[in-house]
Amino acid sequence: MSLKREPGWYKDAIIYQIHVRSFYDSNADGIGDFQGLAQRLDYVQELGANTIWLMPFFPSPLRDDGYDISDYRSVHPSYGTLEDFRTFLRTAHDLGIRVIIEMVLNHTSDQHPWFQESRGSRDNPRRDWYVWSDTDTRYRATRIIFLDTEMSNWAWDPVSKQYYWHRFFSHQPDLNWDNPAVRGEMWDVMKFWLDMGIDGFRLDAVPYLIEREGTNCENLPETHDIIKELRQKVDEQFPGAMLLAEANQWPADLRPYFGNGDEFHMAFHFPLMPRMFMGLRLEDRKPITEILQQTPDIPPTCQWCLFLRNHDELTLEMVTDVERDYMYDMYATDKAMRLNLGIRRRLAPLLDNDRRRIELMNGMLLSMPGTPIIYYGDEIGMGDNIYLGDRNGVRTPMQWGAGWNGGFSTADPERLYSPPILNPVYGYPAVNVLSQKRTDHSLFSWMKHIIKVRRSTPVFGSGSIEFLYPANHRVLAYIRKLGRETVLVVNNLSNAAQAVELDLRPHKGNILVEMFGRNIFPRIGDVPYLLTMGPYQFYWFRLRRI
Amino acid sequence: MVEETFLSDDFLRELINVGEVDILIGVPTHNNAATIEPVIQAIQAGILKCFPRERAAIINADGGSRDGTRDLFAAATISDVRHASKLYTLRTLHSISANYGNVLDGGMALRTILAASELLRAKACVVISPDSTTIEPDWVQRLAIPIYKDNFDLVTPLYRRHKFEGLLMRNLLYPMTRAVYGYAIREPYAAEFAVSDRLVTDFLGSETWDNELDRIGPEMCLTTRAISADFRVCQSFLGTKAPTDGTSTDLVSAMRRTAGVLFASIDKQFSTWSTNSSTHEIKTFGSPAEVNLEPVSVDRKRLYEMFVTGVAELHPVFRSILSSTTLEELQRIAAVGDNEFKYSAELWAKTAYEFAGSYHKSVINRDHIIQALVPLYRGRTLSFIAENEHSSAERIENNVESQCVEFERLKPYLLQVWNGGK
Amino acid sequence: MREMIVNELTQTTHELIRSFAQYLPRLVVMLIIVLAGLLIAYILKAIARSILRLTKFAKLSENAGATQLLKQAALPSSTELLSRFVFWIAWIGFILLGVSALGIGGFEEHVSRFFLFLPRLFVALGILFFGMLAAGFFSRATLLAAVNANSRSPRLLSLSVRLILIIFTVSMVFEELGIAEQTIMLAFGIAFGAVMLGLALAFGLGGQELAREFLERRLTRDGKEERENELSPL
Repeated sequence: MSLKREPGWYKDAIIYQIHVRSFYDSNADGIGDFQGLAQRLDYVQELGANTIWLMPFFPSPLRDDGYDISDYRSVHPSYGTLEDFRTFLRTAHDLGIRVIIEMVLNHTSDQHPWFQESRGSRDNPRRDWYVWSDTDTRYRATRIIFLDTEMSNWAWDPVSKQYYWHRFFSHQPDLNWDNPAVRGEMWDVMKFWLDMGIDGFRLDAVPYLIEREGTNCENLPETHDIIKELRQKVDEQFPGAMLLAEANQWPADLRPYFGNGDEFHMAFHFPLMPRMFMGLRLEDRKPITEILQQTPDIPPTCQWCLFLRNHDELTLEMVTDVERDYMYDMYATDKAMRLNLGIRRRLAPLLDNDRRRIELMNGMLLSMPGTPIIYYGDEIGMGDNIYLGDRNGVRTPMQWGAGWNGGFSTADPERLYSPPILNPVYGYPAVNVLSQKRTDHSLFSWMKHIIKVRRSTPVFGSGSIEFLYPANHRVLAYIRKLGRETVLVVNNLSNAAQAVELDLRPHKGNILVEMFGRNIFPRIGDVPYLLTMGPYQFYWFRLRRI
Repeated sequence: MVEETFLSDDFLRELINVGEVDILIGVPTHNNAATIEPVIQAIQAGILKCFPRERAAIINADGGSRDGTRDLFAAATISDVRHASKLYTLRTLHSISANYGNVLDGGMALRTILAASELLRAKACVVISPDSTTIEPDWVQRLAIPIYKDNFDLVTPLYRRHKFEGLLMRNLLYPMTRAVYGYAIREPYAAEFAVSDRLVTDFLGSETWDNELDRIGPEMCLTTRAISADFRVCQSFLGTKAPTDGTSTDLVSAMRRTAGVLFASIDKQFSTWSTNSSTHEIKTFGSPAEVNLEPVSVDRKRLYEMFVTGVAELHPVFRSILSSTTLEELQRIAAVGDNEFKYSAELWAKTAYEFAGSYHKSVINRDHIIQALVPLYRGRTLSFIAENEHSSAERIENNVESQCVEFERLKPYLLQVWNGGK
Repeated sequence: MREMIVNELTQTTHELIRSFAQYLPRLVVMLIIVLAGLLIAYILKAIARSILRLTKFAKLSENAGATQLLKQAALPSSTELLSRFVFWIAWIGFILLGVSALGIGGFEEHVSRFFLFLPRLFVALGILFFGMLAAGFFSRATLLAAVNANSRSPRLLSLSVRLILIIFTVSMVFEELGIAEQTIMLAFGIAFGAVMLGLALAFGLGGQELAREFLERRLTRDGKEERENELSPL
């Protein structure tokens, strides 16, 4: 059932993030499902992605879009059955696409039988599976994550007359990871899915597993011990399976999650992402280079995960107040766009549907050191609906065609799990896969091409990075190197044409070969290498010594 | 656009790398390493405080400093590479230094700064003196905001000064500019000021740079250009004016840079001011000028002696410049003795106007006319100091106002002198 | 005998009349040249006067101090003087031309020498004029600088400068005219040298302290004490 996993396969992965509910509805009930997803895997393959990250598809009351899980070993009936999942997995592997799934370790839904039992009485065997307290004053130093909706990390349970701890919504009580039974059970859950053949997990909300008084209850040493334990088991029993950490922390605080190569294989580089948007708006590479300068080295078997957008809001937790205000003013002028210290918009609307900027941002995503993740729909430039509440505006149905329901489902439009995007700019008549496949110059075609170029060399996934600091601060330039392969990436962050002189003397004698058109550029000599660039233009040059 | 290529290739390259800016701060220097660091720091703090999102650059126009002034500027850039200070910035803050020559040349320095401002398309260009050790971060905002937000073209400063500092400004430049042009600008010759892009373009394209005299006092030129060409002018209160070092008390050179340029401007722009009879209100941001009443010792005897000597020894020169009535009056007050010495505002106004008229007619070499004014100015200074030694700030201000009124009242006399009467 | 005398007389008279008749045309030519010269000289005078008025020569000469000098000597204004000078030079030139037309032997050489001398005369006048101008300018500049620097005896300084420049100018004028060249140069050299020696002795021996103070002030920028009470005018 599983695809052969070379060591470090994830470094060359192009990950496509999908919510099964949003992708394709095969049974006309208005909700995407696994059978539908399986039918559309050829599209993912055509795009060039070789890994799918599935958002939670477990049974759930869906009060947090599936992150509130009520049964870890099943599939939500709306999406299909376990058998459907297996079929989908098999099809994906046949097409050479790996699958990683979401695993929410930190909390469950309050509808989960475990919690129902736990709250049943204080003597219940599962009582200790969650974190209970007589008062709501413990762990005072802990921040609230969902600021817009929650006033406290403690919620009062009227049934068992105690407070229970929840770092997220109040209907998502935190599991008590100090309890060995919890640990054992959660490993069994992971094993269940690994046995089925999945290629890895994205472990949600890992910093918050353990609480200790007098701390901020994030990133505690005990949490790392748990992760090391899980990793060891994975390596022993499922070699090659990958663990990806979702930990929204500063780079220095993220570093421990890699351990010495004995914790997570990958982690999201959260702080980089808003700074890419910031650098673009400021037309200044400073925010980008500075955060990467502060990013510590990671073990050679580990990898950063990079992304532009995802299912959550564009988080502005890991920026300064000045930066946050700037981002709000530039990207979320309408307050309805703001949520929980973030911006709930898709990539294309954030970039004013400017094709050049979308290309530039994707170019940076695919050339910076890390495994890129493409959020479903962003490869065709889908829009969003900020009036849908919470973050549902960026989780609208995939737009396959200009016809009925955008080709997502043959159900009545009123029955869809979410209204599709319909405005003249981003609506499915204007933005859809079918139309874009017909032209070579569509965004989809362009994405295919650039992913192909990216995959043509391992230097992007596994190579080192060395920043050049040309005097023109509007240009972000860096060298990627792996063995004898050297690639020069130059990005113009400005909407005006730029001239930039690069000091390429260490590479003197090399001829530059532009990687998209494969045309040769002048040889590097002693004088600074002058490049002129159009608005938002970028170059990838392979350095060739002949 | 600037036609002559006086910008070096290196500087131009650095400007290319800076790109378009919203605000440009220019600092002209010549061996100012001793005072420049706090100035740069205050400028940076000011930019970060008031314009954190704006694209800004600090440009240093240096006249051959040998004390490392330029290096200090170059090190002040805040970028992803250079970051000597602990200040956090959203974007790169450039600080670049250009060498315009080997000797101090105020005109060349200002021209370099304005050229950079035009090439970088700065909306507001702020010029700060390198000696301003009393500068606060807010100065940048106070100078730039009227241009940036309120569309003014020239912002001149207002200071808190010692009551006896800046007497040339208060006794000649201010009253004369006000009376002749009708604009009550307190500091028409400013060490700190701000200009809009429109005025920068206009001024760079003007004939100022062909003229030797205007090149040594371009600040005064800028002011008279702005007011004669109907640009929007305002004033903004900054703070305490820094005490200046000895070199800038060279009165003859100060007179050349200011009165010389003022007389030349009046000469050139006769058609503009001769028909003007009203006073334009100048908008003032912040408080009006303040006076610091700290006691200071002044060598009044020396001033008196220099005045008396000047009147006696320069008699043949004065004969060509002044009317016989005025000359006689000056001789009379020179003979009175220092205890009862008084050089009235009226007599001073007449003196100034006759000098302006003689300058216009070039009765003798114009530079000699300016030099000849110096001892008389000393006399007026002495009189002003004597009158205001124990005065309150309000009283001093009233006296300055009276001086201005006198100049305004005697404007017809200037016209008379101009057209030939003596 | 009487007949011989009458014959001789008649012959001589005839010869005289013949010579005179031969000479008369030259006389007429001379008169024509002289009269034409008079007319041309007047025209040149008028042109000269206009040019001088246009170039505001009167002001220049006032600056040179020439106007005052001329007034004191009860002479007409410099414009007028120069115009008349132009008139006389022109007319004298024509007179000489006319006289040379008479064919008096040896006279032509003197005439050509006169015309050769004229350019040097003009140059000398030019030197004199500009020398006086410079003397006036620099003496005034010295006076102003000395007064503003609060020096002692500014008038003396100014006068010295004027005198030196005038002497220098006059020496150059005489040299140009070729009048007592050697004498003048020698005299100037001696006088100038003596003045310089005198100054050196005075400054060097008598003014050692002063010299040291002066140098210290100039080179070590120690003007603070003096400037302490100096207020900033701006």
